Amino acid sequence: MAQARTRNTASGEASHIGAGTRVRGRVTGDGDVVIGGQVEGDVVVRGDVTIEDGARCTSNVEGHAVTVAGELSGDVAASGAVMIGATAKLRGNVQGSQISMEDGASFAGRIECDFELPEGMGDAHAAPARRR
Amino acid sequence: MASTVIGAGITIEGEVTCDDDVLVQGTIRGKLTSRDAVTVESGAVVEADVTSGPLSVAGAITGNISSSDRVDLQTGAKVVGNVKATRITIADGAQFKGNVDMDV
Repeated sequence: MAQARTRNTASGEASHIGAGTRVRGRVTGDGDVVIGGQVEGDVVVRGDVTIEDGARCTSNVEGHAVTVAGELSGDVAASGAVMIGATAKLRGNVQGSQISMEDGASFAGRIECDFELPEGMGDAHAAPARRR
Repeated sequence: MASTVIGAGITIEGEVTCDDDVLVQGTIRGKLTSRDAVTVESGAVVEADVTSGPLSVAGAITGNISSSDRVDLQTGAKVVGNVKATRITIADGAQFKGNVDMDV
């Protein structure tokens, strides 16, 4: 998070797609993006992505830390943590270093989170996950 | 702060439609439509047709501009395209190539 803040001061204000704004197309770049409106198209940034309560996105989202509190149809691929808030309506697959989901969130999809199992504990008995 | 801010590191390729004011510091390629004020800051690049309320430009715009209100091209602005607006100012040091239509 501290890193994200440094990035923001370097590039001025963080990007904010307001509640009355619709974007149809790709959003790319270095900084953080906060979405409060509608986005139809992929969002690929190196910073953090926040989808606020009330926002509607039909997008695949790539970013560092990704927070979803609005509606999202599409996959999430984060290099950092993914937070799915209580107001989120998420349909898609989620990948991240850490994933948390609050009580009240609706979610349909697959969660993929890479971590090491304790020694001697294989994942052979785990749910039949598709191996990448 | 404007309700919608396209930050300096961000590029949008496609169509942006807003009900509220927009501040562009980054890049937009495609189309930009706003019912309210649009500000294109120094360093921003807009390769798009712009339809807006009052428009203030200090960055670069390639595309046709249609404003329901005024257009201010400030020092350092680079605009290539036709401008349609009720009032237009072009500051000393602004670069502009295109037609002006003020509905006279």
